Order: sequence, then C-alpha cells, then structure tokens
Amino acid sequence: MFKRSTFSTILTVAITLLFLILLLALVRLQIVKGSFYQVVSQQNFVRIKTIPSVRGEIFDCNYRPIVLNVPSFNLYIRPGLIKDKERVADFVSKEFDVPLEEVSRIIINNRYRLYHDVLLVENISYEKRVRVAEKLNYFPSLSFRNETIRNYRYPNHFSGYVGKINPEELKNNDNSHYTINSHIGKTGLEKFYETALSGTPGYELLQVDAKGKNLKFLHYNLRKEPAHGANLILTIDNRLQQYVEEIFPKNLNGAVVVMDAQTGGILAYVSKPDFDPNMFVTGISVEDWNSLMQDENKPMLDRIIHGTYPPGSIFKPITATLGLEMQVIDSQTKLAECVGGLQVGNRFFKCWNHQGHGFLNVTDALKYSCDVFFYDLSTNFTLDQMRDFTKANFVTLPTGVDLIGERKGFYPTHQWYRDNYGKQVSILGLKINMSIGQGELLVTPLQMCAYFNALAHDGVWIRPHLLQKTITKDQVKLYQPEFKDLPLHRQNLELIQDALYKTVNGLHGTGGAAKVSGVDVYGKTGSAENHMGEESHAWFSGYASWEEPEISFTVFLENGGGGGRVAAPIAREIVTFYNDLKHPKAGK
Amino acid sequence: MKNFNWSALVLLIILLLVGVFSIYTASTTKIGDEITTENFYIRQIFWIFISLIMLYIIVRIPRQVLDVLIVPGYVLTVLMLVLVLFLPQIKGSHRWIGMGFANFQPSELAKLVTILLTAKLLSRPHQSDWQMIYSSLLVVTIPALLILIEPDLGTSLTLFVSLFAILMAGPLPKFYIVIFLSPLISIVASFSIPIFLVLLALLLWYLYNQRLGWVTMMFIGVFNTFVALISPVIWHGLKEYQQNRILTFIDPMRDPFGAGYQIIQSKIAIGSGGLWGKGFLMGTQKNLKFLPEHHTDFIFSVIGEEFGFFGCLIVLTLFFLFLFSLVRSIRKLKRNETYFASIGIVTYLAFQIFVNVGMNLGVVPTTGIPLPFISYGGSNLLINVMAVGFVLKLINERSIFG
Repeated sequence: MFKRSTFSTILTVAITLLFLILLLALVRLQIVKGSFYQVVSQQNFVRIKTIPSVRGEIFDCNYRPIVLNVPSFNLYIRPGLIKDKERVADFVSKEFDVPLEEVSRIIINNRYRLYHDVLLVENISYEKRVRVAEKLNYFPSLSFRNETIRNYRYPNHFSGYVGKINPEELKNNDNSHYTINSHIGKTGLEKFYETALSGTPGYELLQVDAKGKNLKFLHYNLRKEPAHGANLILTIDNRLQQYVEEIFPKNLNGAVVVMDAQTGGILAYVSKPDFDPNMFVTGISVEDWNSLMQDENKPMLDRIIHGTYPPGSIFKPITATLGLEMQVIDSQTKLAECVGGLQVGNRFFKCWNHQGHGFLNVTDALKYSCDVFFYDLSTNFTLDQMRDFTKANFVTLPTGVDLIGERKGFYPTHQWYRDNYGKQVSILGLKINMSIGQGELLVTPLQMCAYFNALAHDGVWIRPHLLQKTITKDQVKLYQPEFKDLPLHRQNLELIQDALYKTVNGLHGTGGAAKVSGVDVYGKTGSAENHMGEESHAWFSGYASWEEPEISFTVFLENGGGGGRVAAPIAREIVTFYNDLKHPKAGK
Repeated sequence: MKNFNWSALVLLIILLLVGVFSIYTASTTKIGDEITTENFYIRQIFWIFISLIMLYIIVRIPRQVLDVLIVPGYVLTVLMLVLVLFLPQIKGSHRWIGMGFANFQPSELAKLVTILLTAKLLSRPHQSDWQMIYSSLLVVTIPALLILIEPDLGTSLTLFVSLFAILMAGPLPKFYIVIFLSPLISIVASFSIPIFLVLLALLLWYLYNQRLGWVTMMFIGVFNTFVALISPVIWHGLKEYQQNRILTFIDPMRDPFGAGYQIIQSKIAIGSGGLWGKGFLMGTQKNLKFLPEHHTDFIFSVIGEEFGFFGCLIVLTLFFLFLFSLVRSIRKLKRNETYFASIGIVTYLAFQIFVNVGMNLGVVPTTGIPLPFISYGGSNLLINVMAVGFVLKLINERSIFG
C-alpha cells in the first residue's frame, strides 16, 4: 500500500502524535493543575466510605426474638492521627480493660490505614463512656461510635455467634463485603446463613475539600445504598424451647429435639449444658475460654449434631423393618425363645430382662424391647445388608440440617473390623450387638429424630431444618424442605407404628411413662450401654398424633439410666405442654 | 553485527532498569520512619535476566529454526487460550495458568506468535487482496476472541490494531483503509440516519473513484447498511448493566467505585507530583495504598507522583527514542515477511505504551494493559523483550535474509 519510507514516516508521525497527546495531558495534570492536585492529595479529600449493611435478626416461628441487634458504644482508632503509639495503647488498655498486647497488635496491623477508623473496643458501658469522655481530648486518634452489637436472647446451640472477622476470613471472602471492622458468623445459623444475614454494604464517594466545596470529580452514582441483611424466621417455638430447657434434668447432660412432623422444621433444639453466645461477640476472654474448654461437661458440644452415641434399643425398629422388608419374618413370626438371653455358638448374649420374654412376634418384641428376638433376626443378614439398610433410613448419614459441622455417626464395615480387630475377626457377634443398637454403631440424636419423624410422616423422610423463611425488604423466601422415601412398604410401616403405639399405651410396654391421655403417643425406649460411664444412655424417641401426627421428638440423656424410666417422662411432659399449647380443648 | 541496532538495545536496557527502580519504590511503603518493601523488584530482576537471555538466543539462533516454530507455536498458544478458560479465575478473570512460582499469561504469547504468523501468511506470493484479508483476519480473530472471553479487552484490541498496521504497511491498495474503517464509522453514525446516509454516499463515491467493481461496492454498501441497522437493535437489546459496562468503558467516571475511582486516584497521584515530584519513596498516595496495582498497571502514576513532570518526561522520551530507533531500522528491511512482523511488533509496543500511560493520565479508557518493560510481571516482560529480540534479529540479519 505504502512504500517502506512513506509508511515509516506515517508510523513516526502517528507515534509522535500519540506521545504529544500524552505530553499535553501530563502538562495539564502536573503543571497547570499541579497545585490543585497537591492540595487534594495532602488532605485525602477523595475516598470511598463504606455504608455498612444492617445484619438480619433472627426470630422464632411467632416472630419472638432470638437474636437481635442492640445499641452499643464502640471505640475506634484512626492510625493517621496517632501521636504516641505507646501512650494510646497504654491508655486504652488501662481504661477499657483490654490486654495491652491486643491493643498494640491492632494498632501495628493497621498502621497503614491512616484515614480509616479501626474498631478497638466494643460494647462500652454508659458509665465508662461518660468517665472517659474528657480524657479522650488528649487522644485525637480515638473516637466513640454509636453502633449496634449482636445480642442472643438465651443460651443455645443453634444460633451460633458472630465474632470479629480474622485476616484469613477477610482474605477468603469477597472483600467488597467485609472490612477489617466487620463481624462474621463463626458457627451455627450465623455462619450457615452468613450471606443472607450480612446483606451487601453500600458505598459513598466523598469528594469535598476542607471547606466543604464539592470537587466534582465524578458526577454519577455517588452513593450506592446498602442492601440490608435478611431476617431469619425459624421453625423454633420459643415457648416450647423454653419449656424444654426448664424441665431438662438439672444434674444431667444430654439433648432434646422436637420436630414438626409435617414440615421437618425443628421446634425445640436443646443440648445441655449450653453456653452464652454473647461471650464470643466482643471476643472471648482467655479465662472464659479456658473454663469452657476445661469444663468436663463440655458445654460447647452440641450433642444434637456434634455428639455421636450408641442408640441402643431405639434402633430396633430399623432391624425389625429390615427383617420385614426382606421377608425373613412377617407380623406373626416368632423367633428364638427368650430365656434371659440367647446362646449363639459358644457365647451367651444376654437380654436386658434376665427373667426372659418367652416366644414373641415382632410387635411384642418391640413393645417389650426384647433383645433376643433381634439377636436371632440379625443372624439372617450380612453386615453389608444391615449397614446399607441403616443408611437407606438416613441413619449414620448427615441429615443436612442447616447448621455447621454436623457429624455423620458411624456404621463399621468389614474392612474396618479387619483393620481394628485383626484378620480373623468373627463378624457374627458384632452383628448381633449392632442389631440392638450397641457395639460400634454411633448415631446423632438428630438422625434418630428424623428417622422417627419419617415413621410418623407416612414413611417419608424430611430433611430437618431450623429456617422457615428469610425476609428482606423486597421478598420473602421460604425454606424448601427435601423429602425422601424410607425403604418401607405400607403394611410394614403400619406394623411398626402399631408396635410403637403399644410400647407407650399397651400393658407393660416399656414406654408407658410417655403416655398422655387424649393424645396418641408413639415411641421407643432405649438404654444404651457405653464407655462413658456406669449408667446407660437414656433414650426415648417417638411422635405424637392428634388428627394427624404433629410432632416427633428424641430425648437423649447422657448416662441418664433406663430410657423408659428417665427419658420417657420428659417426652410425656413435652407432649402434654404441646397439647395444652395447640389443642387446649383436647385431652382434658 | 554490523547492522545491529545497538541504540535500541541500550534504550531497552535503560527502560528495564527504570522499571526495576519504579517497582522498588512502588512496592515500598514508608510511614514515618518505617519502610517495608515487598520483593517484587527482586523477582523483576530475575525475569529481566531470563528475558535478556531469551533475547540473546533469539538474535543468535538460526532463522530457519524459529521459522519452523511459528505454526506449532500458534496452535499451542490457541490451545492454551482454550485451556485457560477452564482454569479457576485469578483476580476475577481467566487469564493466568498457575505454575507455582509464577502465573503464565498465554495471551501475552498470543500477541507475539499471532503477529509472526500473520506476517508469514501475508508475505506469500500470488494472493488476491481478499485472500490476504480473510486469512489474516482468521488468524487474528481466533486468539482475539478467546482473549476477549477471559475477559481481556485490551490485549484483544492490541491484536487488531497490529493487524491493521500490518495490512496498511502491506501490499493492499490504499482504499482498503477506508473499507476497514467504514464499519466502525457506521456503528457510531447509525444513531442518526441522515448522517449515516451522507457518509454512506461519500463512501460509495470514493470507492467508485477508486474504480472498484460493482459487486465489491454493493457488498461493502450492504454490509455497512446492515451494521448501521443492527447496531441500535443490539444496543437496545442489551440489558442495562451491559449498556452501562460499555458506557463505563468509554467514560470510566461513570463507575465511581471501580474504574472511575482508580483513575481519579491515579490523576491525583500524578497531578500532585507537580514539576519535580515528591521525591524517591515519598509518594503519599502510593504509601496510603489508595491505588490498587501500584507495581503493575498503575506504575506510571507512582513515577508521576515521586518524580514529577520531569521524571515522566524522561520516561516518555526514552520510550519515544526507543520506538523511533526501531522504526528507522525497520524501513531498511526488504523482505515482506520480516518487514510485516517488525511493523506489527512495533505497533503493538507503541499501542500498549500509549494505552497504559493514557489510562494513568485519564485520557484513554481503562483496559488493564501493563506498561511495557516497566510494569511488574513475568510473562508480559518476557514476551515484550522477546518481541524486541525478534525485531533486532531481523534488522541485524537483513543483509543475509533482507
């Protein structure tokens, strides 16, 4: 197109023109407007200010508060205004009772954020603020802000708690959402629903000089409003929750879960002992932390999903249904005679009732909780069959509840036995133990509650959940529960339901202590031997029906003793309380 | 080495040293008496060594060896550009292949190999005009599209600008410039039908005077009309945020919390440098970390703040002399392939310098192109220096291969 020489001239001219444009822009910026920009840069007039979004609050099913934001006076420091690092740190440490290293660490870590306020101390009492106010004049870097802080209305294991964001969390999360001063959900619902709760902060572009004159760098969208976090409405009923807390035996550790049989929503979630989440909000003190960690009752352990225990006899319905589904037995089949135990090979497996139960069918075996029937039944299955069937009932699997760190429990495999008990291990005895929920089998109380809930709900398992809906300014989002079928035919389901009814309401049924007049209570007791103590774990799991099944529950008391004696009465009181609450006319 | 362009090499090395120096101050934070430096400048020195070794190898290696590598190199690069789209994002785009000690950007390699392949294709004898246009457009569009998806608009544009320069330098008649530019003009003009019609008439009249065939003229006329008709339709079919993205590209100040904010801070930094600058390590805007990407895309603002107009003038002069020196030598290349390749490389270097400095000064849209030879960055530096190596080689060997 062009000759070499012509084109190189064109190229040279083009490059020269482009560089002239740059030169002109440079002259304009640095020479013509240089002094203006110098002032702007010195005073740092142009910067982005974050408008924090308000964290959503958490309420029970009737909009009664569980977690709220309450006013809080907080102390901030602006590193750019610090005159004497040591003096400020010393002052803050003494006046506000914070360890000196902590204050120094915050100051040093944020020394480059000259124009940002960094959160130093939270939740300062009114008296303290008034007392310190005057001295604050000597420290221009310090200022108070009137903000809010998380407040947990009662000790519990499900809400979780927020805490100050740590550098790692700051790095892993979208950094436009969080600042160095942010709080973030650390565990429980606060963490699980962090995204919904925290919302999206807004921004404001500050561009005024010292005299308040608008510098007019930008003309568009100078303010982006924050999207406040969603409020969570839970399925928890504070009245029931509080009642269960009250009747929980003071001298025992354990857990109680109550579920709505139709929706899978958790109505009460009590694990004892518990702790006050408020301790964590402003950063827990070393003494408090140590006392929580060293307490041998483990108050930080959520026994409903973080603890795994042998289920004992409340596991028996699973073994029974396996026999029914595989047609090893039917409703009338009687297995080996219970003479206070069963001889298998050279070993005698004891029944809890040393008198013996005689010949029983499956209904009576469940009603009297006879061990021998299930021992004998289990000799018909392989370990894998029992394991697979247990998992098909969603036991020893995580339920997927909307909380953090749920454990799955344990059902051993052949391989596990070989690795731990040696190559020559005899599976038979181990299988027999697991048929009655003993041996190596470990479950969480929530799995058992979900299982019994499925028995109540026509054999359809529902994922347990605490959230009912989230509410923001623009929309209400309902939690969508997940439904799955148990591997159970209708006639077998009805047979088991009948047995659970007779366990509570029949003559000499082991669950008689859970009987409530006017209400159909179904249930199964369990007394699981364990390595934790002399006494067995007391279990009671079941459901209650009016026109239709409405609630299911699992009561678990660590080393509480016999399930029928200790756990069943608690179930009775829960059903009675619920009955008075929801059906005041019935049953009186 | 009779023909070797020593002045360009010396200028290059001076620019690289200016880069190390700038990266040192850009990644140093000084508050009071406390000074902390991140080790970017050490890594940059390491990369400069590697780059200069590669430059030496390219200058010395027999031409035939490099020639054989061009097509496989191109195919491999396109494969890497596809691969990178399936890798996890780094800093919000699929640009890098993580390699432990460094992240490699295939799009950098793409610029070099695409230009070399284009030059090779266009220098084949006995081709019709349109054959040349089609083949070169295809070779450029494949990597350019893949890079656009990453997304990296700046690098993608660089490829087309280089192609345009090569085609202009090439054997095509002059009226093709008008043909190439006409769709762009049609897009802009499409929002006013009368203006478009006047421009279309002018275009056809010009092409008629150039004695083009009726078929070609019809095609160009219909194509431009089509572009003009479809542009408003596409524009109004875009979602509001998509329109905003395009408008923000043209006018970054529409995005006060993103690009606009960066440009304001860059302008404040450079402007406040004044005539003589605030002095080595003394940049307050830099120290306060108002500017992201100090040591990469916005390194020019650090130079502007600390060394003022004086410092910027020196850097721009170095760049200008460097480009000027290369252009003067390129003129003497006789063989088409070497000439085209050199034109392409020089154009893409000049374009990147202009776009980066212009972005820092707030006169060019933000595209995320680093400043050649100065900005921190391994693969970017390596490829830019290798590209210069190619030009130096071709100039050096012109008596042999001409």
